[in-house]
Amino acid sequence: MLTFTLRRLSLFLFTMLVLTLISFSLSFLFPGDTVINHSGQINATATELAQLNEAYQMDKSIFTQYGAYLTHILNGDLGQSMASQSPISNEVLELLPATIELSLVALLIAMLVGIPLGFIAAINHNKASDNAILSFAMLGYSIPVFWLGLLAILFFSIGLGWLPSAGKISLLFEIEFVTGIQFIDILLSESPYKWQAFSNASSHIILPACVIALAPATIFIRLSRAAMIEVLAASYIRAAKAKGLSFQQIIFRHAIRNALIQIIRHVGLQFANLVTLAMVTEVIFSWPGIGRWLIESISQRDYTAIQSGLLVLSCFIFIVHILTDFIYAALNPLARGNHHGS
Amino acid sequence: MAREKIYLEEVFPSPFMQLWGIFRKTPVAMVGFCCFIFLVILAIFAPIISPYSPVEGHLDMILLPPAWHPDGNVSYLLGTDELGRDMLSRLMYGTSLTFGLSFIVVIFSLVIGVVIGSLSALTRGIKSSFLNHFLDVILSIPSLLLAIIIVAILGPGISNTVWAIAIVFIPQFIHITRYAVKEEFRKDYVLASRLDGASNFRILYYSVFPNIVERLMSQATLAQSAAILDIATLGFLGLGAQIPLPEWGAILANGLEHFYIAPWTVYLPGLAILFAVVATNLVGEGIRHALKLRKEN
Repeated sequence: MLTFTLRRLSLFLFTMLVLTLISFSLSFLFPGDTVINHSGQINATATELAQLNEAYQMDKSIFTQYGAYLTHILNGDLGQSMASQSPISNEVLELLPATIELSLVALLIAMLVGIPLGFIAAINHNKASDNAILSFAMLGYSIPVFWLGLLAILFFSIGLGWLPSAGKISLLFEIEFVTGIQFIDILLSESPYKWQAFSNASSHIILPACVIALAPATIFIRLSRAAMIEVLAASYIRAAKAKGLSFQQIIFRHAIRNALIQIIRHVGLQFANLVTLAMVTEVIFSWPGIGRWLIESISQRDYTAIQSGLLVLSCFIFIVHILTDFIYAALNPLARGNHHGS
Repeated sequence: MAREKIYLEEVFPSPFMQLWGIFRKTPVAMVGFCCFIFLVILAIFAPIISPYSPVEGHLDMILLPPAWHPDGNVSYLLGTDELGRDMLSRLMYGTSLTFGLSFIVVIFSLVIGVVIGSLSALTRGIKSSFLNHFLDVILSIPSLLLAIIIVAILGPGISNTVWAIAIVFIPQFIHITRYAVKEEFRKDYVLASRLDGASNFRILYYSVFPNIVERLMSQATLAQSAAILDIATLGFLGLGAQIPLPEWGAILANGLEHFYIAPWTVYLPGLAILFAVVATNLVGEGIRHALKLRKEN
């Protein structure tokens, strides 16, 4: 486990290095002055500009410049947003939890729906229900997410009026910002209307989370179906059958456990896909998350925000990636001995 | 004694023809393939067969519903949008933008990715390990996010979107080619031609490529379905095709304002995207299914 941890750690450091290098070079690629792109201070006076040049070591070699940039990031200084002139790190801290919340709920829905369906398809391999589930998976995988979001709003919010179409919670509720994850904040708050707020927040999250969850759910269907088919063909299942175990016992005690391990390995990879879908969905559902903020920064040509948004989002994705790797290794001893990291 | 059979030479179809033989027998895959060909033809001939211009408005025919609606007009089969532009013509032209461009993008990234990937498969040591890790990092960033960043550098517009998506797809082709070439190089038939004195490039060209072309095609269909969705998504977000262009995502975004009174301006482009992606995915599924069957035989 120690070598596994060290290997993951070195991969993590290398990735962070490449990611910061990419975001550092973006300042040169974006139009405008490099140091202004780094710091986001578009209205800097001559003295301020001189200070910035000093702080980012712009007169030294490119390696020193990168070092200075890295120090700024490690100190939590991502510069200012060019559009709002407020520090980006504060904005990110406010917005990122909303995205984390939305994508985790969506991931949960995708797994809860996708994995059992995939198992059912695998158990009825090559039968009508298998084909039906596979066709559903193909369709769900192909629907453009923004279209699905619009149809969902038209049907559930405007047509039936069941669920709200925009925002995170009704403006009537005042929830103090503690962690940024709304459900935790609501539970922590002292408000007498805690449970009303909780149900209101849940009704706001259902629609966007389901829209995001559809495509990953279909991928989980395919993954779990493939894993289950492989496990059911294994010899220990035949041995269990020969022992005279009933079908339920075989599936629940032996097959599901071994198939689940295979699926957990792919959760990290699917997460990147899910975050992309979340970015687009946030725009449609006016969810106050980092995806919407990033897309707005592009239309506002807010280069500092784009750069930091890329850094923060890819860090987040990569951390989830590594976490799932650890969970997989903790559950599956075979993975720890593997010399080739995924 | 069936002596005459001796002279009948046994013909082994090439791996690719074997694959086609299996592919042809899967009806669902063939339906997908026909739809795919239909889209390709539409993308090429849209300017000739579309009834109206995609950007010219007919101001007396604003927001006309499709022809099957009681208020519809049969000369505007799929209705018109808020400027009186014919939806059918716009969708037809959109095929050459969304579908046609995604096709070109994928071919472009495929060629570059295969060249870099097969060269890198021949290298070893620190260079190869660095490339491997670097690709892992790039691949862990979602493709749409990366495309958005590149569009932010280049500025919005359809040609910049195409470049961005082409750049985004190159790493996955490098990755899959590298992996496939390395795997083939371990096999005995490569050793056999190496013993015949063939150089690395000769082995690549004559022995390895014919054996990995289907895997690349299957990856290409995956990439194309993603490319269609990415071009449309960028168009929808206003970062891709700009206002008068009839790109499917942009048409959809354009119809948003009249979503409630003219839902067909949103339904139809969405259905077009769905149709194109499903057709591409069916072809991809068919190839993967055929590959699996061929391996089992």
